[in-house]
Amino acid sequence: MSVLPARRRAALLVALVAAWVAGSALGATQPAGRASAAPLFQLEPAHAEYVPVLDGTKPIYVLIIGSDARPDQAVESQRADSIHILSINPAEHRAAIVGIPRDSYVEIPGVGQNKINTALFYGGPDLVVQTVEQLTDLKMDYWAMTGFASFEQMVDDVDGLVVDVPFAMNDEASRAFFDPGVQRLDGDNALAFARNRHDLPAGDFGRSENQGRLMVAALAQLKKEFNKDPARMLIWAASFVRNGTTTLALDEVLDLAFTGTAVNANKVENVVFPGGTAMVGGLSVVTLNQETLQKISKDLADDGLLRKANVPPSPNEPLLGG
Amino acid sequence: MTPNRVQRGSSKKRRVPLALLIVPVVLVAIGVAILLALRGGEGGGIIGGGDEPPPPFDFIVKPATAVPTAPDADEAALSASAERVAHEITPIIDDLYTNAYLDPSNWRHDDYEEVFTAFAPDAAATAEQSLETLTLGATAGDVFDTVDPGRSKLSYQVLFDPDGEPDTAVVSVIFRATAERKNGTYLAIVSEGEFFLGQIDGQEEGWKITAFDVKREDHETHPPSPSASTSASPSA
Repeated sequence: MSVLPARRRAALLVALVAAWVAGSALGATQPAGRASAAPLFQLEPAHAEYVPVLDGTKPIYVLIIGSDARPDQAVESQRADSIHILSINPAEHRAAIVGIPRDSYVEIPGVGQNKINTALFYGGPDLVVQTVEQLTDLKMDYWAMTGFASFEQMVDDVDGLVVDVPFAMNDEASRAFFDPGVQRLDGDNALAFARNRHDLPAGDFGRSENQGRLMVAALAQLKKEFNKDPARMLIWAASFVRNGTTTLALDEVLDLAFTGTAVNANKVENVVFPGGTAMVGGLSVVTLNQETLQKISKDLADDGLLRKANVPPSPNEPLLGG
Repeated sequence: MTPNRVQRGSSKKRRVPLALLIVPVVLVAIGVAILLALRGGEGGGIIGGGDEPPPPFDFIVKPATAVPTAPDADEAALSASAERVAHEITPIIDDLYTNAYLDPSNWRHDDYEEVFTAFAPDAAATAEQSLETLTLGATAGDVFDTVDPGRSKLSYQVLFDPDGEPDTAVVSVIFRATAERKNGTYLAIVSEGEFFLGQIDGQEEGWKITAFDVKREDHETHPPSPSASTSASPSA
């Protein structure tokens, strides 16, 4: 280390301070000279995104109820033609859909043993929720319900649903006439697809799976449209709120919709509680396979997801060729 | 090493009085500093200050679209309300892009703090990590001489709750600017995307960005023609 005389150090220090002040000052008044070696700006396309998806580890369970209410009927006081548990694992961006056959003969709180679809008639969506909670031991966080007309309108509001129809359908009762393959269904056709059971070998079981298929298609389409134009989410959310009846607040609908855009629809397990048919007091009912019901319910309770080992065979298997 | 006696003696003989060295330098420095302090005006400090103000800039705003959630919504009333929402949010987006791309006192000094005040806390954390996409960039001061705004547009879709109150707005943005590099070449800055805004509970500042999806598609360009406007025109 060199040592300079004190007076010279002082002079140097003063000169440096003066040069710093003057240099800074001059630098602020005069434009910088052209730097021939200035770095070029990066031209790679850049992308910044923040989507407020839910990321908690607790699964979210939404009971989705399709009322058989016709356009002039109140959706709450009819029968539940379709009942599905939508189970979402926000942290893993995955989901599962479990259909409950409408004729499932179950204990309805305060009513007694009856078909599960009558719970809506006896006590509205809240009683359907209680019934499903008692059946599965899963606590539903929300419920959402549509009727025939509102379902059709919902599909039309989003310009139809792109569905991979798994097999040909030709059912006069539901007006479901489809060739197999990917096609865009308008509201009328989506409803027909959801209602068709007469030409399915497993009847309502197969129909329930197809209703889940529509939900998976909706999830895939929401994600695709959101990635192309994020503002489309508003159209989906608004249509859901406008046409549905739900315990979800608008902001919760948006939270779930954002979360839905992160879910890989191809990995959503879409199953139906299996069972058999029986006659009880003159009623044709479905008796659920209790062992499988327990397995699926316990599996969902864990993390909201369904392991492959607990996925029952598709009720449409004879038609799927697999 | 300590100088020996002979060397010290010889240096004494050639010494210039210290005052003669210091006084002129200090006087010049003080003079220049006073001059600059007087010229600096409002934002101009002495050290690193003196940046020119940002060029005037306003987005062109397209008519807003109302998205109702009530089946029997009064669409005319919601459309008017959507326009009011757009009117409230536009200055926020104007400021966001001015702070991110146009204000030399920000981009010359890698100081983009003001940009992130437009974001809700959760979104701000991600936005800060996306600085190179959402702003002119940390090294812009080393690269660019000037940045002039071009024709830039906003369009709005406003989601209303069932009571007819605005809940969420999605702003689609196309921002264009031309930046002149220090080496004399020009870069077209293009920022395109969507911002979701909501009124965050417990925050008095009003609308905040809660989600965003923004791309940068910059490309080389030519010098602007002398007759070209240097700033976008505001909408009527």
